[in-house]
Amino acid sequence: MITAKNLTVSLSGKTIVHGVALEAKAGQLTAIVGPNGSGKTTTMKALAGELPSKGEITINGHALSALEPWQLAVKRAVLPQAATIAFPFTVREIVRLGLTVGPNRHAERIDAITTEALAAVDLSGFAGRFYQELSGGEQQRVQLARVLSQIWEPVLDDEPCFLMLDEPVSALDIRHQLTIMQLARRYCEGGGGVIAVMHDLNLTAMFADHMVMMRAGRIERAGRPADVMTDDAMEAVFGCRMRINGVPATGVPFVLPHTASA
Amino acid sequence: MSLNDAARGSVLMRSVQSRHAGDRTAVARLTLVALVLISLVALALSITTGASDASAINVIGALFSGAEDTALSMRDRIIVFDIRMPRALLGFLIGAALAMSGAVMQGLFRNPLADPALVGISSGSALGAVLMIVLGASLPAGVMIALGAFALPLAAFAGGLLTTLLLYRIATRGGQTSVATMLLAGIAISALAAAITGILIYMADDKQLRDITFWSLGSLSGMTWAKLFAAGPIMLVALLVVPFLSRGLNAITLGEAAAFHMGVKVQRLKYIAVVAVAGAVGASVAVSGGIGFVGIVVPHLLRIVIGPDHRYLLPASALFGGVLMLGADMLARTIVAPAELPIGIITALAGAPFFLWVLLRDRTRNGW
Repeated sequence: MITAKNLTVSLSGKTIVHGVALEAKAGQLTAIVGPNGSGKTTTMKALAGELPSKGEITINGHALSALEPWQLAVKRAVLPQAATIAFPFTVREIVRLGLTVGPNRHAERIDAITTEALAAVDLSGFAGRFYQELSGGEQQRVQLARVLSQIWEPVLDDEPCFLMLDEPVSALDIRHQLTIMQLARRYCEGGGGVIAVMHDLNLTAMFADHMVMMRAGRIERAGRPADVMTDDAMEAVFGCRMRINGVPATGVPFVLPHTASA
Repeated sequence: MSLNDAARGSVLMRSVQSRHAGDRTAVARLTLVALVLISLVALALSITTGASDASAINVIGALFSGAEDTALSMRDRIIVFDIRMPRALLGFLIGAALAMSGAVMQGLFRNPLADPALVGISSGSALGAVLMIVLGASLPAGVMIALGAFALPLAAFAGGLLTTLLLYRIATRGGQTSVATMLLAGIAISALAAAITGILIYMADDKQLRDITFWSLGSLSGMTWAKLFAAGPIMLVALLVVPFLSRGLNAITLGEAAAFHMGVKVQRLKYIAVVAVAGAVGASVAVSGGIGFVGIVVPHLLRIVIGPDHRYLLPASALFGGVLMLGADMLARTIVAPAELPIGIITALAGAPFFLWVLLRDRTRNGW
């Protein structure tokens, strides 16, 4: 479990996150939603240990501040927002970084895990392609495969591992949005935990166990999507008057991911 | 259920491509072996050829026997052992140090155009060296005696280190390095270093002027065992330390945050890399003046063949850099024989157009 108590983060003198408290349990997909600039990504970066913060963060009971980078790297992996790479890496070489940079417990299975991780993000057959030549969505999935390979076993030494995903489906078409969210779901079912910064409320409602709504650096609502997604919350958090489960006026088509069948 | 089981199903459904697609490990290893052999040949050639007519077979015979009974005359013996050998070894070391420094800088800055000479590190080292030549005399005698032959390399090293740290501070914000800022800061730093060097030259007396002029010609002539022993160890240490940074540098190509996420102590890595680069470049500048473009050309060509994995790129760059430097030196020695061209001219003549080519080729891709 990852917990944060009274988490406060300041960047260049400006306080971005104000005394946030949250829990991300193993076996659960925790989604952080909120308008642009509400502190979602900053909160995630603090949980990843990447930003200096005040307050208390623990991962599986260990104080985050007491862990060295390589100790953290076997407990959690982080998918950043879009990343550019200046050198001509192949897809296989990128994914393999997840297995070769940090402490490596799978030395003899590097090729196998690389192949499986690429298959998991629907990129089988892309191993030989150059990363720079892929589309944005494909690059995002390559990065996810790399992140996944870093903590390939959802549970390691009886401790759950955590995927931290910053807008994992932002660049993806709707089919691959579902693929990736299902992958995150399976990671939870395998005993690991997932924390995802999300913009798509429908996908969040479908896949999240726990939904954290942030606004202006504070948590406004938190709980099961069915409990927190209310007309009132939409207005309080997003400043939008909308009706949950409301059907739009006829004439304008709409499609919901909920209706997808395998 | 683990994720593996879920994923395995979908793997079996697809036609699995070649198991090794996108894996350049074998090519990289083969290239390394080839480069080791080519390096040995280049060193042998460099020692056995030159304006003197000491024949290759005789020289090699002398190298291996070490006895007096070979066909090598006393004069040739001196030429081979006291002139060509230190020159070949230092030339190789300098090429290796510059090329590997280029590769490290490019990895650290996440940019294929970072080069110690281009971004002003060489100018900083040159300033350090000139400072030592001109002001060294005013240091307490004890200090100069204690430093001995190391005074010049150490001063160049300090100049290079300060410049690198300054450059990094200026060009990097929030873990991202701006190309434009880096290159422009490099120009500004070079100009500043050149201006201060100019002031020093203005202040220098006749003997110091002579020292500065000979030193700044940027040539491998006048290499001695004494210079090798003074500058060689610094370069050698850098060459031996840097390969241990390979995995960290691989991670940093994805950004400093991503490298941290993967378990790299980023700050420590950066400091070791910067000190190693400053040491290698400073020591090479101290003995040979500024030799440009080796640091850009070598890693770039190698990345095309073996890919950007620093575990192979760094040692391959060192070897290829050494070979290239010996090749350029042989050209410099023979092209206007019996006189010789400063080697810096040859590397710039070949390197500058190459740099432009890279710039134009990458322009569309990177949107510069």
